Amino acid sequence: METSEIIESLNLIFRKVLKRENIVLAEDSTARDVPGWDSLTNMILISEIEKNYQIHFSFREIVKFKHVGDLCRSIIEKQE
Amino acid sequence: MSFISLEFIFFFCICFFAYYLVGRSYQKYVLLLSSCVFIGYHQLSFLLVAMGVTLFSYIAARHIEKARNQKYFTTRYVASVGMIVLFWIMDRYAGTLSGSKFFLFSLGISFYSFQAISYLTEVYWGEEKAERSLPDYMLYMLFFMKFLSGPIERPGSLLPQLKNLRPATYEMMTYGLKLIAVGLIKKIVLADQIAPYISGIFDAPHAASGVELIMACMLYPVELYADFSGYTDMALGGALMFGLHLSPNFNRPFVAQSTADLWRRWHMSLSYWVRDYVYLPLSSATRHWKQKGLIFSLLLTFVALGVWHGSGWTFVIYGLIQGLVIVYEVKARNFRDWLKRVLGHNLFATWSILCTYVIFALSLIFFRCDTISDAFYFIRHLSFTNYTNCKDVNLGMSDHICIVSGVALFLVLVYEFFMSRGDLLKRLERQPAVVRWSVYYLIVFTIFIYGKFGANNFIYLQF
Repeated sequence: METSEIIESLNLIFRKVLKRENIVLAEDSTARDVPGWDSLTNMILISEIEKNYQIHFSFREIVKFKHVGDLCRSIIEKQE
Repeated sequence: MSFISLEFIFFFCICFFAYYLVGRSYQKYVLLLSSCVFIGYHQLSFLLVAMGVTLFSYIAARHIEKARNQKYFTTRYVASVGMIVLFWIMDRYAGTLSGSKFFLFSLGISFYSFQAISYLTEVYWGEEKAERSLPDYMLYMLFFMKFLSGPIERPGSLLPQLKNLRPATYEMMTYGLKLIAVGLIKKIVLADQIAPYISGIFDAPHAASGVELIMACMLYPVELYADFSGYTDMALGGALMFGLHLSPNFNRPFVAQSTADLWRRWHMSLSYWVRDYVYLPLSSATRHWKQKGLIFSLLLTFVALGVWHGSGWTFVIYGLIQGLVIVYEVKARNFRDWLKRVLGHNLFATWSILCTYVIFALSLIFFRCDTISDAFYFIRHLSFTNYTNCKDVNLGMSDHICIVSGVALFLVLVYEFFMSRGDLLKRLERQPAVVRWSVYYLIVFTIFIYGKFGANNFIYLQF
């Protein structure tokens, strides 16, 4: 699966969870760039992503994600 | 030995000169000895307790790192953190429960215990290696400029500085002195001026009118902020004079537009600590419960944050209020977005700042009152219509105190506004000598003429 494909599906998850239709993620997007994405909503987003891809992130993996690109790479690794 | 006492000034000067007179390899020992003297000067038992926690966490981290498999690794970590938490609870509640004066709550224990837990957790997570040098670790735990009331330092931020002590540059020293001056203004020109009048109301709410209760409630956040951020400025400034950078604790909390935002700006070293070591692990473990997991984690985190401040149900309720308000903010996100579109950005920002301040001030009633019944009495009797005379509005303060503290508050807010738009103190350094020295003299005269000397205690010393 390509990073661009993952970002497309992440866009849908972020829009659904954060209830904002105008979210467009990029590889270098961080919580600062996305309104509503903060420590309060982060774990709900992670939970939706895990459900969507049928994967599991450990706590240490989650806190080490610096931007969307890190998240995509981890999803790709886990799917391989 | 309070920061604002002749003993401390004398002590600080001796440490400062000794630090720069000895060779570089002895500097950390000067700081360590000074820290032990500083703590032991309060009471020898405080030093023994602090040494005990320090040595225990030093040895525990080495054992955690040496664990052969994951099972031992986790067991040792949980046992070590559990011991520190248990000891902290015993120290905190021994005096309260037994009613004996024999048990004294150890000064600074809430702060250095949290540093020890932070260190053990980072070692457990593999983010930090267990410290080999005992003097470096002892200094991380006991450094006197942050011992009494923080900031709660992370090992990754302070230990590398202590391992490689560098003398402060001239700029660092002058910057440190300016921070100390700002802290002094906040503490003795603002906080200490209004403190007796606010305390008078909180200590005897039954004797106060409705208007006095409202004014005390609305002014208490200002007193608490000026007191604690004044202390923090002095701690940061003093540490800077030894070449050490401590973490900031406040970032203009009164411009926060939500309670969640307020906690990213108020007592930051504590709120980031509970976020990283309590809230995030909890919310990660309960993430499959979706919103319910988030609400559970938030409420438990803020109750823990409340309980950190003291024993008693008042602190539990104080924490619970913060948690409930943030849960409401998460749930009402769409409504807030809609309101922002309707009111426009500026009006919405003003409204949000006011609401956040009022909610915080009301929650602090539980933080400040001695009993729950006092706190509920206080809230029930808040009223604009119940007053004795117009003097109720200024809580009986003289016109002189009203003007001095009012101007000091205005100047502090202006100073922080400009600090947020670029470092005002560094800009001052670039001004001509006449301007700089006029400002310095003005600050010194302000402190000596309008400062209130003699009230040596800081509010956060009790935690």
